[in-house]
Formats: sequence, C-alpha cells, structure tokens
Amino acid sequence: MNRIIAYIRRKLSVRVSLWVVFFAAIIFNVALGFLFYQAREAVRQEAINRATQILDKTSLRAGSILNRVEVASRMTKWLVERHIEMADSMFVYSRGMLQNNPDFYNCSIAFEPYYFKNKGRYFSAYTKHTGDSIRTIQGGNDYYQYFYSDWYLMPQLLNKPCWTEPYVDYDVPTNTSEMVTSYCQTLNDKQGQMIGVINTSLSITWLSQTILSVKPYPNSYSIMIGRGGTYFVHPDTAKITRQTIFTQALESLQVGDNTPAVQADTALTALGYAMTHGEEGVRQMELNGEECLVFYKPLGQTGCSMAIVCPESDIFAGFDRLSHTIMTIVTVGLLLMLYFFIRIITRELKPLRRLAKEAETIASGQFNTTLPDFQRIDEIGQLSQSFGYMQQSLVKYIDELKNTTAQKASIERDLQVASSIQMGMLPEKFPTRKDRDDVQLYAALTPAKAVGGDLFDFYFRDEKLFFCIGDVSGKGVPASLFMAVTRSTFRTVSTHESMPDRIVTIMNKTIADMNKNHMFVTLFVGVLDLPTGRLRYCNAGHDAPLLVGAGIGELSCDANIPVGFMPKWKYSLQEAQIFTGTTIFLFTDGLTEAMNANKAQFQMDRVRDIAFQSLTEQQQDPRLLIGRMTEAVHQFVGDAEQSDDLTMMAIQYIKQKSDLKMRKSIVLPSNLKEVPRLNAFVEEVCASVEFDEETTAQIKVAVEEAVVNVIKYAYTPGQHDQSVTIEAASNTLRLKFTIIDSGKPFDPTVYSVADTTLSAKERRIGGLGIHLMRQNMDSINYERIDQLNVLTLRKKFHRITPNNEITSSRNNRQTENSIKKRQ
Amino acid sequence: MKTTIQEQDNNIVAFLEGSLDTAAAAETEKTMSPLNDVADKDIIIDCTALEYISSAGLRIFLGILQNAQEKGRHVYIRGINDKVRAIFTITGFSNIFEFM
Repeated sequence: MNRIIAYIRRKLSVRVSLWVVFFAAIIFNVALGFLFYQAREAVRQEAINRATQILDKTSLRAGSILNRVEVASRMTKWLVERHIEMADSMFVYSRGMLQNNPDFYNCSIAFEPYYFKNKGRYFSAYTKHTGDSIRTIQGGNDYYQYFYSDWYLMPQLLNKPCWTEPYVDYDVPTNTSEMVTSYCQTLNDKQGQMIGVINTSLSITWLSQTILSVKPYPNSYSIMIGRGGTYFVHPDTAKITRQTIFTQALESLQVGDNTPAVQADTALTALGYAMTHGEEGVRQMELNGEECLVFYKPLGQTGCSMAIVCPESDIFAGFDRLSHTIMTIVTVGLLLMLYFFIRIITRELKPLRRLAKEAETIASGQFNTTLPDFQRIDEIGQLSQSFGYMQQSLVKYIDELKNTTAQKASIERDLQVASSIQMGMLPEKFPTRKDRDDVQLYAALTPAKAVGGDLFDFYFRDEKLFFCIGDVSGKGVPASLFMAVTRSTFRTVSTHESMPDRIVTIMNKTIADMNKNHMFVTLFVGVLDLPTGRLRYCNAGHDAPLLVGAGIGELSCDANIPVGFMPKWKYSLQEAQIFTGTTIFLFTDGLTEAMNANKAQFQMDRVRDIAFQSLTEQQQDPRLLIGRMTEAVHQFVGDAEQSDDLTMMAIQYIKQKSDLKMRKSIVLPSNLKEVPRLNAFVEEVCASVEFDEETTAQIKVAVEEAVVNVIKYAYTPGQHDQSVTIEAASNTLRLKFTIIDSGKPFDPTVYSVADTTLSAKERRIGGLGIHLMRQNMDSINYERIDQLNVLTLRKKFHRITPNNEITSSRNNRQTENSIKKRQ
Repeated sequence: MKTTIQEQDNNIVAFLEGSLDTAAAAETEKTMSPLNDVADKDIIIDCTALEYISSAGLRIFLGILQNAQEKGRHVYIRGINDKVRAIFTITGFSNIFEFM
C-alpha cells in the first residue's frame, strides 16, 4: 500500500489522471444515480399499472366463473322447485348442469331424508365428470350421509346461498379425491319449507390453474384466500385448505422468531386482514426473504380475495440488467480514460523528465551539456527555454565566482602576508630584568581582523625610553596602512626629537599633509628618562593611561586633538615623575569597549578593578598585569566575536638608586681655551675611580666633545662670560658626568651621527663629536630641566658579573644596537 | 702642543707633539696650513709624540687628507700610539688614512 502511495506521489501523470477520473466518476455517479432512481420509479409505476390491470382481468375472469356457477345453480334451483314431484328428473337436471358447464367439477341435488317416499332415506342426484364422459348417480348412502356435510348445512344456517370453504371431495367409484369449493343454496317447496340443497362445485385445482396461469412476470404468482383467510390458491399446494394467511405469523410468534421475521409476518398479517375485509390495493413487503409487490382485490361476492405477488427482482430484472450494463460501460470507460490520460500526460511530460535529467547533469558540474530543443511553444517549451537561459547564466556566474574566489584567495594570502608584516613592525622582544635594571616593559596587540589599526612601539635611545600607543580610526586594511605610516613616522621623527610634543606635532603635520581620506589616529607618545624617572608625554586624543603604583590613578592628559587632520595644531607637553615600582598601563579603547555577546562593554571600572587587584597582590609587573587583563577580557567577552583591535602596553619603572661613592665638580667659563683644564679634571676623576689609561682617554674625548658642543652651540660663539658646570659622580656601577649649562636648548643626541664608513672625500667635517661621545661612553642622555641643558654621560666599571662574565662597555653597546635594529 | 714641519726623503713630514684638543686645534690648523700647498710630495704626519686627539684635531687631519687626495698625493700617519689609534678606529679614520 505504501509503495502504491509512494508511486502515486512520484508520478504526476498518475496523480492528475486519478484526479480527473475521480471527478468524472463522481459526476457519472450523481447523474446515473438520479437517472436510475427516476427510471426505477417509472418501472415501478409501470409494474403497478400492469399488475393492477392483470389483477382486474383475472379477478373479472374468476368472478365470471363463480358468477356462472351461481347463475347456473339458480337456474337449476328454479327448475327443480318447479318440478319437485318428479324425483328422477333430478338426475336429468344434475346431468344437464354439467353438460352445459363442462368446467364445473360436479353437481348434486340433495334432498331431506325421506322426502321422496319411494326413494328411501337418501336421495341425491350427483353428477361428475369421469374422464371425457359424465356420470350421474344417486350419491347418498349410509356411508355418505350427505345431510351432515358442510355444504348441506351452511346455506340452511346462513339462510342464503353461499360458497363453502374448500374441502376434499372423495369419489368412491373412481376412488379419487379432489379439492373443491361449492356453491350451495337451499331448495324450498311452495310453502317455503326447506326440502334440500343444490350444490355446484368447482375444482380448486382447476380454479388455481386458471388464476395461476396469470403471470405478469416469470417468477410472480397468485394466491387466493377464502373468507377466513384460508388459502384456496397458492403455488405451494401443501398450503391449500390446510393453512390460512395468518398461519405463518402465528407460528413465528410461537417460535418467538427474531424481529425481521415477525415484522415480515406482521406485514403478511396486515395483508391478510386487508384481504379478508374485501379491500383492494398494492403493498410492498418482504415475502420469504424477498422484496415483493403484492396486488390484491376481492373476488366478486364470493368473499374470496386474490392477490398477485410480484418479486421486485422480477419487476426490475430488465431495469437492473440495463443499469448493470451501463455501470459496466461507465466503469470500463473510466478505466480506459485513466489509462489513456496516464499515457497522454506521461507523453506530454516526457520533456520535463528529460529536463530533470539535464538539470542533474548540470548540477553535477557539467555546465556545457547541450539542452534538447523540444520545438514547443507551450509552458514546457518556455520552461525549456528558461532553463537554457539559466544554464548560460550559471556558466557565466560560475566563471565569475571562480574569478572572484581566486581573487579573494589571493587577497587573503596578501592579507596574511600583510598581517605578518604588520606584526613584524611591532617590537617583539621586550627587555628582561637581565637586560635592564631600570625599566620593565610588555605589550600585546590583538587585531580584530587579519590586520588592524592599533599600534604600539618603543625603543631605547640613550638613557631614554621612547614609546607610543595609538589607535587608527576604522579597522582592517586602510587602518593598517595608516598604522604603518604612523609607526614609521614615529620612528623617523623621534630619532631627531626628544620632546613628545615636538614629536607629535611633527608627526601630525607629516601625516595630515598626506591624509586625503580624513583618517586619524589617537596617539600617546611618552619619553621616560630612565636615570631620573621623569616622564614627558603628549596625548593626542588617546585614552589616558593608568598609573599603578602607590594607588591607582589616571595620568592627567591635556585635551589635544587626534593626529592626522589639523596640520597646524600645536600639541602640548606634559610631565610627570614616575617613582620606582610604578607601572604605566596604556591601552586602546579595544579594552574598555570590548563587547560580550550581550553588547555590554568591559568599561573602565573593570580595568581599574583588575589593576587594583594586581596592585594589592604586588603583581604590577608588566607581563603579569597584561596577562591578568587579557584573561579578564577573554572571560568577559566569552565566545563573542572580537569587536575592535585590542592593544595594551605596560611600563614599570624599577630603577634603584645606588649609593653615591664619589662626587666632584668643576665650573668652567664658556671658553674653548678652558679645554685643557677640563681634560685635567677628567683625568683626575678617572684616576680616582681607577680607570685604566685607555678608558680614561675615551672618557676624556667624550667629555671634551660634550663641553665643546655646549660652548659652541648652546652659547653664542665668542661670548665667554657664561659658565659650564661639569659634575662627576660615581656609584658602585658606573661613573657619571653631568654637563649643565644655561644656554639655549641644545640636544646633541638628536644630531645624526657621522657615517664612519664613507671615504675621505665623502666625509663631512662634523658629526664626529656626538659619534665619539656615543662610542666612548656607555650612555649619553640629554634633559632640559628648569631652563638648563643637562647632558649626562655614563661609563660602567669593568666588573665581574654574577655569571662570571666580563661585561664590557663594548658588549653592552652591541646589545643596545641589536635592540635598535630589531625595532 | 707643538707642531714641526720638515722635508724628509722627498716627503713633507709633520711632527705633532702633545695634546691636540679643541683648545689647541685652531693654532695647530694654522701651523699645518702650509701642508695644503704641497702638490708634488706625499705627506707624513708623525704622531709619535701625540698624546691625545679630539674631534677638532681629527677635522684638521681630514682637511689635509681631502686636500692631498685632490692633488693625487698620499697622506701617511706614522708612530701612532694605542690611545690615539683607538680614536681613529672608532671614528672610521683608520679606514681612510694610510699608516706607516
């Protein structure tokens, strides 16, 4: 069953055909049903008419027979009463009766006992057909005392002529018996005294045959009942005279049969009453399990009633045959219709199947399949055409898609490379405690996309840490390009400028001049002077950094605009003192605005909380702090997509002041002639800290170059009334010279160093001094403090390290250089 | 600071003695200026007695060298001590001068 349903669902042709045939069948059924109903009613009416006619005719015929008996009987009665004295003539009359009416069964003219004195007790002139002849005898004897018979007594009792109930007439001579009914009437003498009875019988068998020969339908039959409902005529001869029409009902009542039988018999009983009351009509009822129409009518004055029983199967036999034929034709027609519909629709839909197959082929990737041309202009033709267009479009789109995908892949490859280049730009190596004893630093940048617009940078120049953090407006490739520009500009500018405000101002001008797309970058640039912990900074619209030290505080920041759109903006410089142990925590808004799945932001409060926790647990080391912060952000954000680039940088100042061992100073006028005095001072200092001759020479050159620079450039040449203070101080680690002057701001460290690889011809005169300072000392550092130029030169003592390695000044310098190169 | 210029074996030899610091540089430059006029001889700078040199002194050396090279002559440095050689090395002057 399921398979059939599946098949129907799969086959459009079958489905459509089934629907069509289904509706056709409904229409046929309704039309034919109506037709059949009407026709059946017509047939029934016709049957009723016909049966009624036949019944009338039959009843007329039966009535006429009975009537003839009555007439003949009356005639004979008259004759007998007229000639009552002649006893033997009774035989003649009796015989004459049968001679004139050959269809009568017998006739007897019976008299009271001893009426004819000479005839004795019994006298009955009895005539009966015997074969083809007529036999007349005297019927009464001791064995047949006729005057006790029903037929003899009934007319006397009723005092009128009457028909007897059927009875068996036994004929002694021929030893035959016959079921008969008799018409009896009394004979009276002239005084009206009853003298005998004349009895004329009809054979019930004969009467039955006469009535039963009436057959409007092959299986119909007639019945006749007497006054009491006794069957006179019935196809079942066993019932005649022995049963009444009520017998069956009574029997079934006694047996207590089931309801349908009782109902049927109730109908039969009702029929019986109607017939015995001499009514006329038609009834539809069930007889012997068969629906029948029963037509009934009384037979003249006899008190009998006859009925014709017509089984409906007979009445409607022709009609049923016809309707069966029609139904068969319709059914066969519908089946044929179904078959042809399926065939036709299947044929019509064949192109669709073909298209479906082609579609599969196309779907499997073979786009150049040739589509069949069905040469049709109907819907299927249109579909085929559309399909063709679709195929062409598909081929086109797939080609485009391939190109696009290839382009995308190439862009993605480029992006990957760009990402690694961008990450490569950022400092990767952070100083460890082994590298530096004055500052610890760590930073982390996580772009939201392959490339990002956040940046951070740091490097050491002399005794200063230059650092910056920034956030370019927007994200992705444009931001990353802008970031790269910003970062390289920072590097370029900060090489020659030590003041953050100057750095940012120059960067702003440079970037704004080439910024056609109105992008901008918020930037924080700081320069931490490592010997003193003095922080100079300039904030260009960036989030204010947190200071995690004695407590949590924000570094106060001036309201400067971001870098990139107002080339003439003058950025302000700010200063702060960073104490040993304090961590400067810098970040981009990717931290405070990190969003979780509910679009809630991380917020500054959380940043402060984490920083405070770190502080209370003495974990404000840059790596630990950033680690904690990163973990907190990840926990907060959960599975949500990173919304913005996230950058954090932490700088902890850890310089411990060493005990001063020696301090000397000299104040010289700003005159180059004082150089020998200076050199003598330096020699004396070097000797006091036990530097060897070679190192002393190096220091001497460096300090001389520094002082000469001051005299030449910070002061107006030729004016010798200014002074230069040279302080020398040493702790356990190093010797420090501090050169202080009150001249105009002059930072020798920003001047480019002479290229020592050039040939003699190409070399410029100049730049050697700063080069010698840098080369001969471990560090030089410039600060402008309180209108004074402060230049510091440091030289470490050669000493034995805990690792038993000799850390020479040269080695240190190489480390420094290599850091620069990495940056 | 004392500077002496002599002709020796068809070369001009300049003898430097003492500390050639910034203070002494101006005078030394003046003393050595005749070297710039020499066109047909190589120059030898004798540093045996030179104890110290700063960038100002190096500039004088560079000036003499550039001048001589324009004329296709050589400048040789002789008898340089370790301390002064260290300065020459740091500044890359050791690459451009010829040492005897």
